[in-house]
Amino acid sequence: MASSDPHKLMVKADKLTKLSLTRWSADWKSATQLYEQAANGFRVAKNIEQAKIAFEKASQGQEMLSSPWDAAKHMESAAALAKELHNWREVADFYRKASELYNECGRSQPASDALAKAARALEDAVPEDAIQLYTDACIMLEEDDKEQMAFDLYRAATNVYIKLEKYADAATFLLRWGLAADKCNATNSQCKAYLSAIIVYLYANDFKQAEKCYNDCSQVDAFLRSDQNRCATKLISAYTEGDVEEIKRVAQSSTISNLDHVIIKLARKLPTGDVSALKKANAVQDEEPLDENDLT
Amino acid sequence: MSVIDILTRVDSICKKYDKYDVEKQRETNVSGDDAFARLYGAVEADIEAALQKAESASNEKNRASVVALNAEIRRTKARLLEEVPKLQRLAIKKVKGLSTEELVARNDLVLALPDRIQAIPDGTAAAPKQSGGWGASASRTEIKFDSDGRFDDEYFQQTEESSQFRQEYEMRKMKQASHISQDQGLDMISEGLDTLKNMAHDMNEEVDRQVPLMDEIDTKVDRATADLKNTNVRLKHTVTQLRSSRNFCIDIVLLCIILGIAAYLYNVPYIHSLSQYSFSGFRL
Repeated sequence: MASSDPHKLMVKADKLTKLSLTRWSADWKSATQLYEQAANGFRVAKNIEQAKIAFEKASQGQEMLSSPWDAAKHMESAAALAKELHNWREVADFYRKASELYNECGRSQPASDALAKAARALEDAVPEDAIQLYTDACIMLEEDDKEQMAFDLYRAATNVYIKLEKYADAATFLLRWGLAADKCNATNSQCKAYLSAIIVYLYANDFKQAEKCYNDCSQVDAFLRSDQNRCATKLISAYTEGDVEEIKRVAQSSTISNLDHVIIKLARKLPTGDVSALKKANAVQDEEPLDENDLT
Repeated sequence: MSVIDILTRVDSICKKYDKYDVEKQRETNVSGDDAFARLYGAVEADIEAALQKAESASNEKNRASVVALNAEIRRTKARLLEEVPKLQRLAIKKVKGLSTEELVARNDLVLALPDRIQAIPDGTAAAPKQSGGWGASASRTEIKFDSDGRFDDEYFQQTEESSQFRQEYEMRKMKQASHISQDQGLDMISEGLDTLKNMAHDMNEEVDRQVPLMDEIDTKVDRATADLKNTNVRLKHTVTQLRSSRNFCIDIVLLCIILGIAAYLYNVPYIHSLSQYSFSGFRL
């Protein structure tokens, strides 16, 4: 097939859809077919820009024919081509549109998959948008009681947060992961998420937050009874004592080595900051509570 | 599903318009160009949102969601505390059309802000759950249970036998140095077991994840087989209706004979003409 053929198909299809004096209603059925053929022809000829436009129009045609599934599929192809062109805004828009169309079909899994693909494409270029897309994908799955599928998304989003060095946000997201794991009774993932959150707080040198986080998580039964809780206890007590050797030893333990590799890297770099200053501050604080206990 | 779609879309549209409403109100209440007032308004709104979250956190039954909500509240508080110094700087600046009393009032407002922010409950007032007190005692190293430190009774249920084993182990450890290699061996075994345990847990979760998917596949395949069976039966009925199987074979044989005869008849004049042309070709 000569490369002019797809062009001719496009022109023909455009003529079919443009309304004028002689044409009172657009013939979307044949136009869509022509658009699809043109798009495939362009893709084979490696004319990415034209192929993307053709897929867009084909998707629009399928929408007019009220078949959102095909429309969404075409939108995804258009988005994949936009990714090759490094046109990030269009990538995000197309994938979002595809996700909405999938939602129209009532299939939430492909919808969130589309958003996840978008986020993966934008991870390096526009990380904030990527995080937004990951969050939306997780919300979509959670609404449909499919939290199990969201674990990968949570993991990827946390990695992006840590790469951007937004540790507080990363820890909050990990706690959300713990919540999702709790809903589907995935206790191992839940405990790992909580331990990861504590480690992230410690890495960000925010010992108070880490302690608060630890106290909060200890109220969750499943975490209290788990291996990860023992490891967290050891870590926190090593911090309160200011014992750098102990911290390093805990960080090498197998419990931490079972976490996600990004978290393991953070744990191996512990302790950041001045642990002995922490020890002094905590020593002053510890005296007061002991006095109260004596009185009662 | 589409009803849920409609509901969520309506909710988001309402939320969008709500935002515009509140903004308009705030703008009418506050002089438009004042940066301080805008920032203060934004901080106030954030404090309100955090208070609401704190309320919902206190009403939540699910512990894990309480943890997640508290973490979000804490993050918001940290962010707001960062904004307070900015506000202080803006409060000191003189703005035209503002009396000195209002300036002083603004300063007071800004000074009151950190207290308000800290007052937002984020679940830290609640003491950690002390099941048998082993959590707290672990962090107080002045209290030791035995020579190793943090082992407690609730985590490991100790029978007489196991405590006897423990004593034996202690004695052996103190007596013989050669048992160090045994310790190391046991350490390696325990590490391997840890890895195995982790892998087993992950596999468990993975299989749990795939169970509903398998169920879906099951229903879909069942539907497909039922359709196929249906179609097959109908096809059989149709075929037997037209002709019984014996007659069907005769049909096919006769059809083949007719086709053969037709082909022969078609080819004969063609063969004739072919032979004529070849002869003429030879003569030339």
